[in-house]
Amino acid sequence: MKMEEVSMSSLDNSKLEALAQDILSDLVEDACLGLCFEVHRAVKQGYFFLDDTDQESMRDFEIVDQPGLDVFGQVYNQWKNKECVCPNCSRSIAASRFAPHLEKCLGMGRNSSRIANRRIVTGNNNTNNKSESDQEDNDDVNDNDWSYGAEKKAKKRKSEKVTIPPFNVQHVYYLVVFVHSNKSM
Amino acid sequence: MNKDSQMRAAINQKLIEMGERERLKELLRTKLVECGWKDQMKAHCKDVIREKGLEHVTVEDLVTEVTPKGRALVPDSVKKELLQRIRAFLAQHATL
Repeated sequence: MKMEEVSMSSLDNSKLEALAQDILSDLVEDACLGLCFEVHRAVKQGYFFLDDTDQESMRDFEIVDQPGLDVFGQVYNQWKNKECVCPNCSRSIAASRFAPHLEKCLGMGRNSSRIANRRIVTGNNNTNNKSESDQEDNDDVNDNDWSYGAEKKAKKRKSEKVTIPPFNVQHVYYLVVFVHSNKSM
Repeated sequence: MNKDSQMRAAINQKLIEMGERERLKELLRTKLVECGWKDQMKAHCKDVIREKGLEHVTVEDLVTEVTPKGRALVPDSVKKELLQRIRAFLAQHATL
């Protein structure tokens, strides 16, 4: 140990500098060797070329930076895409109306099972039961004695009705057929 | 000459014993990743491998092909910083 120290102290600056350079190149060589091992392993394991892609397919996934578009280049519209498909009746309903619709459609609420049944009937057997269901409908509207918010409900009904056109040619036709069959009996 | 090599071995021994060599290696590695050296080298490796064929590449091939370029591509700023650290170490431990 003593001898080494003596010999070290006898070094002049140029020799120290050369030593420093040597150590540096040693380190760089080490780094290269490490990289080579890494690459070689990756090649033999088969994952070295995995991240290779051609320019064209990369272009498809570029981030879009334009006003009015999101990063995928789609138009961001707050209200447009928010629709859910009802699992029961498979209609698409605005997300804000989905929960109330589902309640009615699945028949979980107070009044809803009857409404749901009515919907199914009007939806499926449009031909035969139309007049009957219409009668039921009227019945429902008047049948408020057991519910709390009678007026509220009535109002809602009204607004619902307004959205549906009250009569069309088919309805008139069914009505005529119905009346006629009654007469003949 | 013999004395010189002896002295070099002693210094290297000291570098390893003090853990300074590991620290320097780690520093160099991070610096090289930061400055993009590693990506350049990987690209070069890809060329070499394509040339030789995926199945026939050996570590020796890679080392001989890649090392000269690796040495040349190390940026001066990184070299300077490393040399500074090495000189400081030598100054501390060579002139006790």
